[in-house]
Amino acid sequence: MLKGSRSWVFPAQPAILSTGVVGGPFEKKGKLAAEFDRFYDDLWMGQDTYEKANRVLIEDAVQIALEKQSLQKDDVQFFLTGDLINQITPSSFAARSNAIPYFGLFGACSTSIEGLALAGFLVNYQGADKVITGASSHNSATEKQFRYPTEYGGQKPPTAQWTVTGAGYAVVGNGAGLTTPGPRVTSATIGKVIDLGLTDPFNMGGAMAPAAVDTIAGHFQDLGRDPSYYDLIVTGDLAAIGRQTAMEMLKEKGYTLSDRQYQDCGLLIYGEDQPVQSGASGPGCSATVLYGHLLNEMKKGTYKRILVVATGALLSPLTFQQGETIPCIAHAVSIEFL
Amino acid sequence: MKKYLCAGVITSLLIAGCSNKEDGKDSKVALIKTTDPPPIELVDNPETESFGHAIKKELAKKKELYDVAVIQSKEETLVVYKVKHLQRFKMKKIEKDMEKYLEGKYPDEDFVLSSDYKIFLETVRLKEKIQHKSISKKKAKKEFKDIIELQKEKT
Amino acid sequence: MGKTPKTPEQQKYEKLEKQYETKRPLLKNVIKAFFVGGAICLVGQAVSYFYIYFFNFTEQTAGNPTVATMVFFAMILTGFGIYDHLGQFGGAGSAVPVTGFGNAVISAAIEHKTEGYVLGVGGNIFKLAGSVIVFGVFAAFVVALIKTLLIQWGVI
Repeated sequence: MLKGSRSWVFPAQPAILSTGVVGGPFEKKGKLAAEFDRFYDDLWMGQDTYEKANRVLIEDAVQIALEKQSLQKDDVQFFLTGDLINQITPSSFAARSNAIPYFGLFGACSTSIEGLALAGFLVNYQGADKVITGASSHNSATEKQFRYPTEYGGQKPPTAQWTVTGAGYAVVGNGAGLTTPGPRVTSATIGKVIDLGLTDPFNMGGAMAPAAVDTIAGHFQDLGRDPSYYDLIVTGDLAAIGRQTAMEMLKEKGYTLSDRQYQDCGLLIYGEDQPVQSGASGPGCSATVLYGHLLNEMKKGTYKRILVVATGALLSPLTFQQGETIPCIAHAVSIEFL
Repeated sequence: MKKYLCAGVITSLLIAGCSNKEDGKDSKVALIKTTDPPPIELVDNPETESFGHAIKKELAKKKELYDVAVIQSKEETLVVYKVKHLQRFKMKKIEKDMEKYLEGKYPDEDFVLSSDYKIFLETVRLKEKIQHKSISKKKAKKEFKDIIELQKEKT
Repeated sequence: MGKTPKTPEQQKYEKLEKQYETKRPLLKNVIKAFFVGGAICLVGQAVSYFYIYFFNFTEQTAGNPTVATMVFFAMILTGFGIYDHLGQFGGAGSAVPVTGFGNAVISAAIEHKTEGYVLGVGGNIFKLAGSVIVFGVFAAFVVALIKTLLIQWGVI
């Protein structure tokens, strides 16, 4: 049901039935290692290209999510996913192997929440009984796509972020018949593309912060809520710089958040000793942290209501070389433990 | 597998490189330290024709240089010198000055000037061989020719 | 590539964002680059002396084999995944010497090996280093042209 100008409320409260979270070797050394279902110790993941490795991440995470509910592929109607590589081929190729009707999404690093919002909508209005949604990224494949060769010895500035190697997928299903409480998707706010003129591709967090702020503010206005409604507001991959900037901008708009109440997936996933500069990024960042760490915390009772805002920088290697600014987007989904 | 291959290639290169010369005390450090070799005279009557000592003495006074070696033969005289580190910016000028000085003092002689460490090293090596009498005069002359050849090589 | 002027809103945001942006530690980077670059050049000097001492190369002619050897070292370090860490630490210190050029060529070759040898490796090997070659050759051409003209006119 549309509420306000760009938010959906889901009265049927679609449930997140199960999740599958897979990571790479670097994530294994991170702070959230215990929250992953499976790790690969090698970036190649037994494949001969990084792009294939990215596909393996998706296939594995989907498989794990299905197995947890003992579901067959036929039990799921739609597969909503995306990634960062050329024309989202890893996602499409994974859809080829699992043969679930497929929507390819591209929202850069916001894909995970874009998918979850659409999944919630589909399930809420009986467009599907169960859908599987999520996102993935692979560090080396993304570096190759957007920056320099992986082994190139260029110096990254302290504003740069480290693309997560990982995939997080969730089965979203009709929650009407469920007896036990679980995480449910209650509302979603779709973001506008915001461009405040930053051009540095090594400072994504700074570029994406205004998009996150716009979406968060839009969400509160549409639903008539204020920050106290949520135990936690978490952004996707703004990292250190973007998070600070976003907090400041929210304060200007009248939403004062404490350090505890507002966190960022890009700062949660890795340890302080890992050389990631500003923090983590990538579609896999918000997907793995949300479907791993955050949902586990909700099950433990740490959080009752969270607002997840994944941000994406909609640039390509071509556009920034042509001197264009970086347009950004953010989508928000509220998840409540009911 | 690759690691061993690389290590093998490097060690074999090093062994091949290091095993080919047995050098004297001076030539071992000729690239790094001042060796101050006495001049070599490959002329028939060193007593009357020699001016190697004179040149060496004179050039050693130049404060831009810290080491000079001279080889004098019938056809030409090779003067090799090492330039102090910070004076190396003025290498071209130093060479010109020396050339002018030598041409002025010994107008009948042909001089070959070099500031190349390699030429200096070879000069010291030749000197050591002559001192140890391990080569004949004829052979020494041939080696001198080789040094001149080497000096002229550009690439 | 006409750049549209920034709107007041964009300028205001840029100012705000700058406050939180981590600055590049310039002095630290310069010092690190000095030592890393110096260390690489020290190795280069040692290699050069190696060729002078053990082989028949003069200072003039030892340059070529020394460069080849340094690129070879860069290749090994790149292949074992060490050079990119060195680059992150040393910055310009590891990028400016010839080893940086070697790294740019070799990393691109490794990266695109999955696309085949002809169109992958061959087509992309100079993806990063190509501009060094193009502008290097062009600059050399211009300098040589100026020198030739000056000699022709009898200036030098």
